[in-house]
Amino acid sequence: MLELSNVTSYYGKTPIIQNISFTLEKGQCLCVLGRNGVGKTTLLQTIMGLTTSMTGSLKINGSDYSKKPTHIRSHAGLGYVPQGRRILGKFSVRENIVLGTFARDDKDNTLPSSCLKLFPYLAENLDKRAGLLSGGQQQQLAVARALATDPLVLLLDEPTEGIQPNIVEDIQNTLHHLNKDMGMTLILTEQHIKIAKQLADMFIIMDIGKAVAQGPIDQLTDELVHEHLTI
Amino acid sequence: MSVHDFWTPFSLYPFLNSLFIGISLASIFFIAALGLTIIYGAMGVINMAHGEFIMLGAYTTYVFQQFLGFPFLLCLPVAFIMLAIFGLIVERGLIRTLYQRPLDTLLATWGLSLILIQTIRLIFGGEPKYVGVPGWLDFQIEANFIHLSGVRLFIIIFAVIIGAVTWFLMYKTTMGIRIRAVMQDKEMAASFGIDSNRIYSITFAYGAGLAGVAGALFGALKTLFPDMGAGYIVEAFLVVVVGGIGLVGSMFSAGILGELSSIFSYFTNDTFARFILFTLIVVFLRFRPQGLISEGATRR
Repeated sequence: MLELSNVTSYYGKTPIIQNISFTLEKGQCLCVLGRNGVGKTTLLQTIMGLTTSMTGSLKINGSDYSKKPTHIRSHAGLGYVPQGRRILGKFSVRENIVLGTFARDDKDNTLPSSCLKLFPYLAENLDKRAGLLSGGQQQQLAVARALATDPLVLLLDEPTEGIQPNIVEDIQNTLHHLNKDMGMTLILTEQHIKIAKQLADMFIIMDIGKAVAQGPIDQLTDELVHEHLTI
Repeated sequence: MSVHDFWTPFSLYPFLNSLFIGISLASIFFIAALGLTIIYGAMGVINMAHGEFIMLGAYTTYVFQQFLGFPFLLCLPVAFIMLAIFGLIVERGLIRTLYQRPLDTLLATWGLSLILIQTIRLIFGGEPKYVGVPGWLDFQIEANFIHLSGVRLFIIIFAVIIGAVTWFLMYKTTMGIRIRAVMQDKEMAASFGIDSNRIYSITFAYGAGLAGVAGALFGALKTLFPDMGAGYIVEAFLVVVVGGIGLVGSMFSAGILGELSSIFSYFTNDTFARFILFTLIVVFLRFRPQGLISEGATRR
């Protein structure tokens, strides 16, 4: 489904993440862990093609997208929920979700009913200006927008960051449903070990731009957490 | 010079007529600025050749009318299409290589404006040219306080039409969502399958096409000179800086500037009216640098 091999990514000429490799099969969930500033967000941006340049190989369903720009990768099946949500605040809820449909190859720009069923509040407030939503509602919108792309792989950058606890649970349940019930492939960066252990099949721990540990989630030991993740 | 030479006392009918002239001025400001604000808003490109795009629209109308016998109404879409194609070539050949380099873009488009002026001067000479006004526009409205030519009325109506068409394209079509998405967040737009380079090409072509239509309309109002664009670019920039990025801001800005310009001209004269207007704009920008209404992410 998604294969990264020795990926190094640059801002300008400076390497930010180095030699990242992993293979993700359909329906798997990978959790990228690490302290602040170690390169988790940059890894997702690299997969989306949002950094200046990258070396190594990035394959989606066996096809190489290493040199392809962001919009082509999006059409290839990458859905993205960025850190801080980055919903378009001057758009309505409806327009934000329609934006997601532009990545679909079937040219269908109607609002996907599956997205609206997952988030009833959004379905009832389609004409509300997105900038007026609360943080949790904006996060729901960011997920709905990414799901509207009908993605093969959904990338979520700290989806629970800065969200009130009851909405965190909703988002966690939604991700669980997407991954376990619908078989959607997920990559998420996360600070909460508990959430990572509940959702992920595999993990990568990053430190100063490098993968210092990775493997199946049951190998995420307390020693690793203590060594690389506690402050 | 006495105060009375300089200051016109208030009189109701002439004042109401000046308000009506203000609407006419506003429509000209709006048409001149629309293409510029769309290009600037979506691409962050300050097109210093926008005035010359207007001039090319006027000369295109002149050529198609005088040499090919096209009626004036047909010249309007022709000017749009010709300038849109020209805009597409400029974007692909020049602007695209200069994204993320705003100063270079400024210089390059300024250089382009000089080339266009000289090219037109070489082809058509420096003497004035005229766009023929169709007979059905050759009338004057003289009723109570209103004194307005048919051409000016036509420009007011046309400003409403192209404003409405542009609003529809921007707010009621998926292409409009694409353009506005790129305006707000280019990276996010790309993350959802939007090819920003393609959007830039379309936007620049549309903005250039609007300049072409503006030129065709202004050609019916004034004589054509190779450097006629210089006057319009100043008005267009005033509208953009006061209105902020976007269609709605430009509409309000053009309306306010047109009316203020006309009112100040009524009480004083054209020169002093400009002085007051520019001063007010400087003060306004001191307190609201983003303009009246900004639809883009930030003032670039």
